[in-house]
Amino acid sequence: MIRKATRAAAALAAAALLLTACSGGDQEATGGDGPGGTPQTGGTVHMLQNADFSYLDPARGWDGGVNAFYRLVYRGLTMQAAGDAEDPNAVVPDMAESLGTPSEDGLTWTYTLKEGLKFDNGDPITSAELEFGISRAWDPEIGIGSPWLKNTVEAPADYLGPYQSGEHPGIETPDERTIVFHLKAPFPEFDNVVSQVNAVPFPVGTGAGDEFIKDVIASGPYTLDSYTPGSSIKLVRNEHWDPDTDDVRKAYPDAWEFEIGLEGATIDERLLAGQGSDVNAISGKIQPATLARLQTPELQERVISAEAYCVTYMGMDTTQAPFDKLEVRQAMNYAVDRTSLQTASGGNQLALPATTIIPDAVNGHKDFDLYPSEGNAGDPEKAKELLASVGLEGGFSFTLDIRSNPIMQAQAESIQQALAKINVDVQLNVIDTSTFYETIGTPSQMHDAAITGWCPDWASSSSTMVPPLVDGRVITEKGNTNIAQINDPGINARIDEIRAMTDLEAANTEWGEFDEEVMALAPIVPLLQEPSVFLPGENIAGYIPNTSMTDLTIIGLSDPSRG
Amino acid sequence: MIRFVANRVLGMLIVLFLVCLFTFVIFFALSPDPAVQICGKNCTPEAIDQIRANLGVDQPFWTQFGTFLSGLFAGRAYGTGPNAIDCAAPCLGYSFQSSQAVTDMIVQRLPVSATVAIGAAVLWLLAGVAGGLLSAVREGRFADRFIAGLTLTGMSIPNYVLALSLQFLLVVTLGWLPFPQAVPFSEDPLQWFQNFLMPWIVLAIGMAAVYTRLTRANVIETLQENYVRTARAKGLSPGLVWRRHALRPALTPIVTIFGMDFAGLLGGALITETVFGLNGIGKMAADSITKNDQPVIMGVTLLAAFLVVVGNMVVDLLYTAIDPRVRVGSSA
Amino acid sequence: MTFTPTELEVEGAAGGEVVREGAPVPPPASGRRVARAFLRDRAAVACSVYIVLIVLMAVAAPLLVKISGYGPLEFDQDAVDPNLGGIPLGAAGGMGADHWFGVEPGNGRDIFARIVYGARVSMLIAISATLLTTALGVVFGLIAGYFGGRVDMVISRVMEFLMAFPALIFMIAVLSALPAENRQILLVLVISFFGWPYLARIVRGQTMSLKEREFVEAAKASGATSAQIIFKEILPNLASTIIVMTTLAVPGYVGTEAGLSFLGVGVVPPTPSWGQMIASSVPWYAVDPAYFLIPGAFLFLLVLSFTVLGDRIRKLLGEGTA
Repeated sequence: MIRKATRAAAALAAAALLLTACSGGDQEATGGDGPGGTPQTGGTVHMLQNADFSYLDPARGWDGGVNAFYRLVYRGLTMQAAGDAEDPNAVVPDMAESLGTPSEDGLTWTYTLKEGLKFDNGDPITSAELEFGISRAWDPEIGIGSPWLKNTVEAPADYLGPYQSGEHPGIETPDERTIVFHLKAPFPEFDNVVSQVNAVPFPVGTGAGDEFIKDVIASGPYTLDSYTPGSSIKLVRNEHWDPDTDDVRKAYPDAWEFEIGLEGATIDERLLAGQGSDVNAISGKIQPATLARLQTPELQERVISAEAYCVTYMGMDTTQAPFDKLEVRQAMNYAVDRTSLQTASGGNQLALPATTIIPDAVNGHKDFDLYPSEGNAGDPEKAKELLASVGLEGGFSFTLDIRSNPIMQAQAESIQQALAKINVDVQLNVIDTSTFYETIGTPSQMHDAAITGWCPDWASSSSTMVPPLVDGRVITEKGNTNIAQINDPGINARIDEIRAMTDLEAANTEWGEFDEEVMALAPIVPLLQEPSVFLPGENIAGYIPNTSMTDLTIIGLSDPSRG
Repeated sequence: MIRFVANRVLGMLIVLFLVCLFTFVIFFALSPDPAVQICGKNCTPEAIDQIRANLGVDQPFWTQFGTFLSGLFAGRAYGTGPNAIDCAAPCLGYSFQSSQAVTDMIVQRLPVSATVAIGAAVLWLLAGVAGGLLSAVREGRFADRFIAGLTLTGMSIPNYVLALSLQFLLVVTLGWLPFPQAVPFSEDPLQWFQNFLMPWIVLAIGMAAVYTRLTRANVIETLQENYVRTARAKGLSPGLVWRRHALRPALTPIVTIFGMDFAGLLGGALITETVFGLNGIGKMAADSITKNDQPVIMGVTLLAAFLVVVGNMVVDLLYTAIDPRVRVGSSA
Repeated sequence: MTFTPTELEVEGAAGGEVVREGAPVPPPASGRRVARAFLRDRAAVACSVYIVLIVLMAVAAPLLVKISGYGPLEFDQDAVDPNLGGIPLGAAGGMGADHWFGVEPGNGRDIFARIVYGARVSMLIAISATLLTTALGVVFGLIAGYFGGRVDMVISRVMEFLMAFPALIFMIAVLSALPAENRQILLVLVISFFGWPYLARIVRGQTMSLKEREFVEAAKASGATSAQIIFKEILPNLASTIIVMTTLAVPGYVGTEAGLSFLGVGVVPPTPSWGQMIASSVPWYAVDPAYFLIPGAFLFLLVLSFTVLGDRIRKLLGEGTA
């Protein structure tokens, strides 16, 4: 999701640095209490981070970093399960009494709110506030976050949100506790849609213009105490949040302090030293350079790693020579040296070779490698044979678009080196971070190939993992996600077929099969899954990074009197 | 005198206007479309057009420049209708990436940059003048040569190399200083001092070298002036000759240069702040460059130009007040 | 940019000025005497030797890399430890018989090869920028100084304007917004654009005082054209000033290029540049100090050598003897 085009760089930076460009869940860690023992109530948890959150307003922000933050202050009808849950990918009820009830035709979904829900000012949260908050997603200037509400809920084309067009015609609120959504088309995964960060309540009439840029009206366990953009955010308890209405959030600490604008190296130094209040500090993933310094047993005990739930890949424009030839694309898949890519990206703790589109941590993953090579180091011989079979034994030259980011550049340079072995000359086109996604999302501007990444919008299924990358019907002039521009009738038909399945588990198995079918056509070269390594402070307990983000709502201090 | 001041102020205003215009032209031509940034991930071409019209970026160049200028003095609003964003005067622009007015962002980070600049300035003035005087007194002898060697080294070491070396030596290897951490003075003065010490040194070294050379040259030159010789011949005590006749004229040019250097530094020490992770204007500019947040880069550029131009003028006026001889010829 | 290498932080510093505006034009020194004095100056000789070495290194880069065995872009997976974030194996950043200066963490590229190729970039950009700046500075300075009046006013205002400008921030802003192609040419253009007024100002001042001299008056009286006077009478008398200013400009530009590359708007990777090498070593300085010390030392010594050399030449030419 964060990898889509035209996202403000702030969000990208936040996602990449804070919660690690979509960190993954460490299944082994889920059983215990984490390294710091059992969390206790009280104290202040410090979060050290480089980039500011994209937006405090959940209608605007939508990336791994800020989504974790929203969980502390906002509540929706449903939510992703707690980080320590048996299936942390699952969607569970939040303010709703249960998951939604679809109608027979799948076009109407009904939810009932719990009792005793309140905003941080003590006002009750009813279906009216929820409808109002949700309708903000349609405002053209505010609703720039998750597109899923707009994609699924029925609304006339000229509906422009509550400030310009009034009440949402596609959402009904028959009584204070009932909310009914009318969909454009059946969508079996609608519970995931209302778990999106922009499906949260706000008091009717609030939040126009830049009101929620600097302020928060909380429905979750914490509310904003102070906010200095680019430098700090302080959260205190929302006294009106009733823990009895919340099955997921534990909210152990009394307060949160986000220290923003620190360099990655500084953050790591502070966590390593653990002086003063830094024992109560957490951060996003650590820098590769820091890995070499984690060798003492005390530090090793604090280290937590998490699986990736995104894939880093190279997309090739299948509409242009030479990538219009299947053999050439397959040759690329054979030639790439994933071991070298791995070291260039920080070694085997921070990168793993990827041969599938769906990462291991996402439900639906199927293990396969259609283009195997010894030690994942690439098979230049096989690649040369394939090139020779289409008369390209002399090689060719192509331009690869990359983002101006040290790791991405290292990855591109590795590909350059690997392809030189099969006489393929790679020209690197380094694009500024803020315009990168816009450029590669505009087919007329993208060059022959690009390195980018993709994460599912929800980890519980692969329905948002593979299709956006290969569905021929989503190719657009701007904001294109199918950068390979593959438009294969077989693939398109399979997508529709699997999407229509109401048995979500069976659908996930099919997505895994679909992944392999797609890779036979090799529109992209999966390169890496990039796991994360974290180093929480020694007094932190319950630090369990789950598949899409670190669940901040279950973290606490093992001794709140320290620091 | 009044006419001179008026002329000088007018000249400054013209330069400032040109700086604005020039900066605006460049950024107008190079800037990515703010509408695309606001529109976000799931944008349609129609939505972009609508936002563009709201922001006025579909207007011709001169209209936009006019809006920008009036925003500087009277403030402006971005967009219309319920979602308009207000930007109070002096509005240097609005960063859609960080959802903040550029002026607010600068004001917020000014204290850090000012702390860095003031501390460094004190250091380099003291070191520079002291070193220069010592060199001048000992002209040609060992101390002079030694200081000359030091100044050449100080002028040559790139500040990021110096910054990294100091950090490696003092923090990692010797452990004399804690890892830099932004602590306000009121919270822990010692830690505050330790935090800013390295940035001060790094910034001061290059400048101190330049000031040493200047002081030395000026003092030596002044000592050779006739009136100093006369004073000596009249039997005034060496101390008095130094203080009254040599130091004052020798140091006046230093003061004028100092004004400009200091003003320039207030606009942010890009590299030093970045290397030491200090949240000042310089680091904000460097970060905005990586994010391509053009309104912020433009705001900082204008601020820096403003400080240098104003600093320049203040120094000129002060200089005129101190030394009336300048008034006649300087308007050339 | 002016002539203090620290200029990057010292925007608008007039302090670096060594040759003063309107200073009396020094009498031309005899070439042989200067050369002899120069050779007696050990520091100047040492600096020249270092500069010549770097130039040779830059020119012979492909050959040197053949001898050392690794190209500047070549990855060496065996030289780094994939279990520890890709830190170089062995002491001092992987220095040894195989990799003379060690390797880069992560990809194992040979630092010696990158230093050698980086020297090419540094020297090429610094020297091109110096040449362009000198050409612009001399031409505009001569025109302004010789013709005076309105021409002078326009040129002087432009110079004042450019010198008032926060050049570093502006260079970065412009470079970051421009496309990555031809980055090296752009660097030269942008650096020169902000650099020429510093030389022009001095040339202007000296031209103004020269044109009042008898020999110029005499040439005028004998019917010489303006061009003849400028090129035959005035320019030769400016030679020593120009030489000094030029030598002092080079280290500034070496530093500027490295600084811009350090900030990520300089030469485009994977082309090696010293500034860029230092920038990428920042996260590693605590665990692999050799990674920043080597390019840092090369850069520092080069800037120092040019500065010392310029300083000495100034003294020799300015005062006739050392």
